[in-house]
Amino acid sequence: MNLPAARLDRIARLHVLAAGLPGVAVHETTFDAPFAQVWGWLSDLERSVPAFDSDVASLVVLRRAPGHDGGERLLIRSRSGPTWLWLPAVFDVDLAPGWCWMASRPQTYVVGMAAEPDGDRTRFGHLEGLAFSVSRPWAVPLVPVLALSAWRHRRHIPRDVAAMARHVERAGG
Amino acid sequence: MPSDPRGGEGGEGSREPSGPGDPLVGIGNDEEQVSPDVVRRAQRGDAWALDALVRSLEPYLGRICGAIALQAGDDALQEAMIAVIRNIRSLREPAALRGWARRIAVRESLRAVRAGRAVPLDPGAALAQVPALDDQATAVEVRAVLDGLAPEQRAVLALRHAGAGEQEMADLLGVAPGTVKSRLSRARAAFREQWSS
Repeated sequence: MNLPAARLDRIARLHVLAAGLPGVAVHETTFDAPFAQVWGWLSDLERSVPAFDSDVASLVVLRRAPGHDGGERLLIRSRSGPTWLWLPAVFDVDLAPGWCWMASRPQTYVVGMAAEPDGDRTRFGHLEGLAFSVSRPWAVPLVPVLALSAWRHRRHIPRDVAAMARHVERAGG
Repeated sequence: MPSDPRGGEGGEGSREPSGPGDPLVGIGNDEEQVSPDVVRRAQRGDAWALDALVRSLEPYLGRICGAIALQAGDDALQEAMIAVIRNIRSLREPAALRGWARRIAVRESLRAVRAGRAVPLDPGAALAQVPALDDQATAVEVRAVLDGLAPEQRAVLALRHAGAGEQEMADLLGVAPGTVKSRLSRARAAFREQWSS
C-alpha cells in the first residue's frame, strides 16, 4: 500500500516537456466532444494532420510497431504544402490513447498532442516547434531563432487547434 | 483499525525496514533508474530522452509530492517536474539525478503547502484515486492521518522513506540536523498516535 501519490496528467506532461524545449509553444483548450470521439479522429494521423494543419499536404504511415501504454510506435512521412515547397519530412511517433509525441529525423522539429477526458468534453493540449536546446556554446546563436519559433507557434497552433475543434466536434454529428 | 503501521523502532540514523503493514512503503528506491545516457541526451534537449526522463521520475516524485502536499500534490508535482527539466543542464553527475530531483520536489511541495494550495481533505476524492479495492479504506486512512500532521512532519517522513540522510533533510528544510532528528521522532510518534486512535 502506498502513500497518496500525485499524478502528472498528459497535458501537464506536455507543459513539463516544453520547459526543456525553448523553441516550442503549447496551447491548451477544451473540445466540446467526448474523449473517444476526439481521439478517434485525431489518432488517425493520415487523415487528421493534413485536415487541421495547413502546412501539411499529406502524411503516410511507413511502419507500425507496438509501443508503451497499449500504443504504437510509428514511422511517418509528411509532405509540406506549397508554403514550404512540398518538402518531405520523416517523423518517429509515439502514439497511445490520449498521447502523441512526434520528433523528426534528424531531430529538428517536435509535435505533441495530449488529451484528457473531462466529462462529456475533452481537455486538449498541443505542443509544436523547433526541437533544439541551447545546451552547447555553439548553440547560443540559436536563442533568437528559438524565440522566433516559439513566437510563430504561439500564433500558428491556435489556428490548427481551431481547425481540429471543427472536425472533432463534427465527427459525432 | 490497523495496528501500528511502523513496525519496530529504527535508529534515527538508519532507514527502517519496511514490513507488510507499513503504510510508507512505496516511497523508496524501487523505480527504474534513468540511465546516464538518457540524462545526457535530455541535457542536450533530445525530445525522446526528455519524455523518458519525465516518465521515469514521475512515480517517484509523485509519491513525495503527494505525501507532503496532499491534494495540492498534482500542482506541486508539475512545478517540480518543470523545474527539473528546465534545470537539467545544471546537473553535473547523472547518478545524482534522483537525489537532486527529490530536493526540488520537496521544495515545491512545501511551497505549495505554504501558499495555501493544500485544500482540506476530501475523502471522496481521495477514494476515487485509489485503484485497488482492498487498499481503499487504508489508503484514505493514511491520507487522513497525514493530513493531520504538519507539512514539515510530512516532509521528514516522506524524505526519510525516499532515502534522504539527515544532513540533506536539514539542508532542504533549513534547520539543524538535530532539529531533523527531533522533528522525525515527533512525526513518527504523531503518525503512530493518529493511526492507532
